[in-house]
Amino acid sequence: MKVAICVKQAIDETELKVGPNGTPLIAGAATKVSTFDKNAVEEALRLKSSGGGEAVIFTVGPADARKAMKEALAMGAERGVHIIADSERLDPMLVAQLLAKAIQKSGPYDVVLCSEGSSDTYCGQVPPMLAECLGQPYAGYARKIELAGASSKVERALEDRVEVVECPLPFVASVVSEINEPRYPTLIQIMQASKKPVEELSPQALGVSTEKSLVRVETMNAQSMNRKRVLIEGTPEEGASKLIEALAKEGVIPG
Amino acid sequence: MSQEVWAFSESDSVANETLTAANEIANAISGKAVMLLVQADSPGKASVGKKLVVKGSAQSPDSPEFVSEAISRAAKQANPAVILVGGTKNGREVAARISVRLMRGCLSDVSKLSSDGKTLAGERGEYAGKVLTRVVADLPCVATVKAGSYPPASGKGTETSEVQVGDVQAKTKTLSVNRKPAATVDLKAAKIIVSAGRGVKKKEDLAIIESLARTLGGTLGCSRPLSSDLGWLPEDYHIGLTGLNVKPDLYIAVGISGQLQHVAGIKDSKVVAAINIDKEAPIFQAADYGVVGDLYQVVPALEKALTSKRK
Repeated sequence: MKVAICVKQAIDETELKVGPNGTPLIAGAATKVSTFDKNAVEEALRLKSSGGGEAVIFTVGPADARKAMKEALAMGAERGVHIIADSERLDPMLVAQLLAKAIQKSGPYDVVLCSEGSSDTYCGQVPPMLAECLGQPYAGYARKIELAGASSKVERALEDRVEVVECPLPFVASVVSEINEPRYPTLIQIMQASKKPVEELSPQALGVSTEKSLVRVETMNAQSMNRKRVLIEGTPEEGASKLIEALAKEGVIPG
Repeated sequence: MSQEVWAFSESDSVANETLTAANEIANAISGKAVMLLVQADSPGKASVGKKLVVKGSAQSPDSPEFVSEAISRAAKQANPAVILVGGTKNGREVAARISVRLMRGCLSDVSKLSSDGKTLAGERGEYAGKVLTRVVADLPCVATVKAGSYPPASGKGTETSEVQVGDVQAKTKTLSVNRKPAATVDLKAAKIIVSAGRGVKKKEDLAIIESLARTLGGTLGCSRPLSSDLGWLPEDYHIGLTGLNVKPDLYIAVGISGQLQHVAGIKDSKVVAAINIDKEAPIFQAADYGVVGDLYQVVPALEKALTSKRK
């Protein structure tokens, strides 16, 4: 069983600061592994564990993306492929094309896993685009994956229903966080991760031009959260009566 | 490129919202909005719109794979300026697939769409709602329209036509569909919502939060851990980035720490109140009124005060 996992070093939304003119300070912002990517890595390790094989991490991004790679390797993946891109933000179509080329070059893989969307921009486009680029079956929003020989049964968690689909191997899937509980690597695993092989590839080597984006960012503005932030302290009874008074004054409960 | 603006969603209610967006863009580019319906060639629903009829015994005519292939084929012939897809989970897949097949740019989950005849622009929340980003793609292009961001179209207004798109072979097969029990709550329409979070220690204790909601004439909601991880409440109670966006007059967050992902779903509320034992909880930064205290004491006190006030 060979599994490819796509991870992203994403801007940490909790740490993102806003400049004086109301624009978010994207350049130099703190980053982290995109939250649900760890679920994709965990699921790959689970799928692999039943019959041995290999879990290979793929990432697209600048040098900073090595942090996501290292974390995924520490969790237990064998090796990595880092596609070097200058820009922190690439059109999802380009990301999918780059990943598809790199996966084809280093594969074949039985399963390709992504998370449902990245925690920074949450477009959710790369996984289905990747399946299209690879010409493989796709199961999005998977909450359970069961392999059975050359095929699989995948439970898809949709808004109002759960669908079970039969997906022949090789396939691409995106996972939701309830699929598993990602493991924490041990100190030894974290130390060993830096010794695991990581291949670096350029977009040129993959024959993909990153010059032209089909989708461009026009403006970015911080959303103001103008809340009153009145703190009410005291006994539970005092808190309750002060809150009721304030809410009645706002006209949102009967006075 | 034709001046047509196509609208599609597999969900009837979202399809009507998407048509509103399509009407606006069609006006802007002096074009025509067209509602798309994708059907197997077995007797279809009698509805208004452009029907893309797929030949053969399609296994699952609702599957994104099937729908995206049908729309891509029709688009290769008609070359519409814009294809709008309702921003559901399957809708995102449909739009992404079409954009690869047609090599067109794809805006994801946008609202406030506009077009100057050459490009399509739209606004999306990013970084857990901290940032509003305006993204743009050259026409012709594809976009998913954020669910709930447009009112449903009044009167469908597009003519009925049929296009035969031929046979579609799907790579995946739908084995079963388990509908979740019909939504017992309509949080999107609720005027008052009282939401529970991880501060609630056990499932049975939800009763005190629900009771407060009832006393206020409101509806119970929750943050992600309670529905997705603990399974204490169904998914249609889940408010936040990956759940529902709500806009009540009053939102009361009880025992919710206030992660950005949750706050993203409540930012359109008129007034936000929070009850939390931790004075440093981020929810107090996102609330108009914050009561610092143990929810197990404050919630009953609130209920008692409200009830005695009514007498």
